[in-house]
Amino acid sequence: MENGFLLEQKTLEGDLNSDTSHKSSVDFLMNWFRKRSIFVLAYGTGCGAIEMPPTFTSRYDAERLGIRGAATPRQADVIIVSGYCSYKTLRRIIRTYEQMSNPKYILALGSCTVNGGMYWDSYNTIKKLEDYLPVDMYVNGCMPRPESILEGFIALQKEIGEGKASSWQKYEENYEFYRKNQEAVLGEKVEPSYAADWYLYDGGL
Amino acid sequence: MGMMMFQKIKSHFATDDVEVKRNDLYKVGIRRDRLVELIHMLRDEYGFKTLNAITCTDWIEEGHFALTYMFTTLDRKHTFMIQTMVNRENTQIKTFSHEFKQAQIMERDLHEMYGINFIGNENLKELSLENWVHTPPLRREFDTLEFVNNNLTFREGRDDNVDTKAESKRLRVLKKAKKDADKKEAAKKAKEEAEAQKSKEEEVKDGE
Repeated sequence: MENGFLLEQKTLEGDLNSDTSHKSSVDFLMNWFRKRSIFVLAYGTGCGAIEMPPTFTSRYDAERLGIRGAATPRQADVIIVSGYCSYKTLRRIIRTYEQMSNPKYILALGSCTVNGGMYWDSYNTIKKLEDYLPVDMYVNGCMPRPESILEGFIALQKEIGEGKASSWQKYEENYEFYRKNQEAVLGEKVEPSYAADWYLYDGGL
Repeated sequence: MGMMMFQKIKSHFATDDVEVKRNDLYKVGIRRDRLVELIHMLRDEYGFKTLNAITCTDWIEEGHFALTYMFTTLDRKHTFMIQTMVNRENTQIKTFSHEFKQAQIMERDLHEMYGINFIGNENLKELSLENWVHTPPLRREFDTLEFVNNNLTFREGRDDNVDTKAESKRLRVLKKAKKDADKKEAAKKAKEEAEAQKSKEEEVKDGE
């Protein structure tokens, strides 16, 4: 009988290997590769970023599921929007997301990304992330513990394995809808100035 | 740092608004045109050399902002709050960014959040907001909830977009009523039990 770590691993991965809905063996193989090597952009956007280090380090060790960090947006598959998302942050998230290469997924943490959370009446925090960017998986909680984040990842992996997670296609198809919503809160100029511009020329510190 | 200092401030600046808040925290209210003079005196003669913070309070009913400059001595043992009132509309006040470098970013923040103009400060660009065109958000006439309702959409089913004070009061009243009812019931039960006990005892007595 398994117990401890092995039992946890088995419970987590339980139905991950049992997906049968693939169209062909090539599809199956592609999806299997994708779901088992998820590179997560090392980018924290809110208070929820504090739960990410324990998720990826020895205690919860996400790498046993094939989930690990990536240094730059161009190498990453998943961006975690961890917590409340102010207008200023949203600009940076949009730029980062558009820099990532396909296939790309968004995992949104915390109640703030779901409905505003405790910032529901704040003048510079958006309330529904999916109006501005396509979200694959919400993990609720304030803040979600690393266990919940891992479960969110497993659910995302399952969707990827079945070929259902296709938010980046949704973003390309409905780009006008997203762009309209982005412009409604951020103004005409959605993309931020580069940090160097801001620091050296745009008034600076 | 004693009575001498307060007496000097009182006599020299003709103000009675001098207060010892704690044995290491003092406060003085001063007219706007004497502010620079007082700050220079405290810095040069009494060693309040560090500007810690500039804070602003919005007294919308009286029609002014209260600007508080907080200074500490170099050994960090004494703090002096110097408060001055400025007009809420078209607020103009001289900058301190040349004497105290740290005042630059504090004033930039206050300009962004309250719309106060610091004359002589070279860079009053937005600090944490971007392309903000509405009323400065920390002024009290800025209605946050109205702004959110006009500009952002809530998720369906989020219906606690109500007056939280009224709601918590309602819940408190309900809780209290329940508590009272419980208490009453418990008292009633205890009474009944006592009566039952009594009657039992009487029966026993009768039996004897």
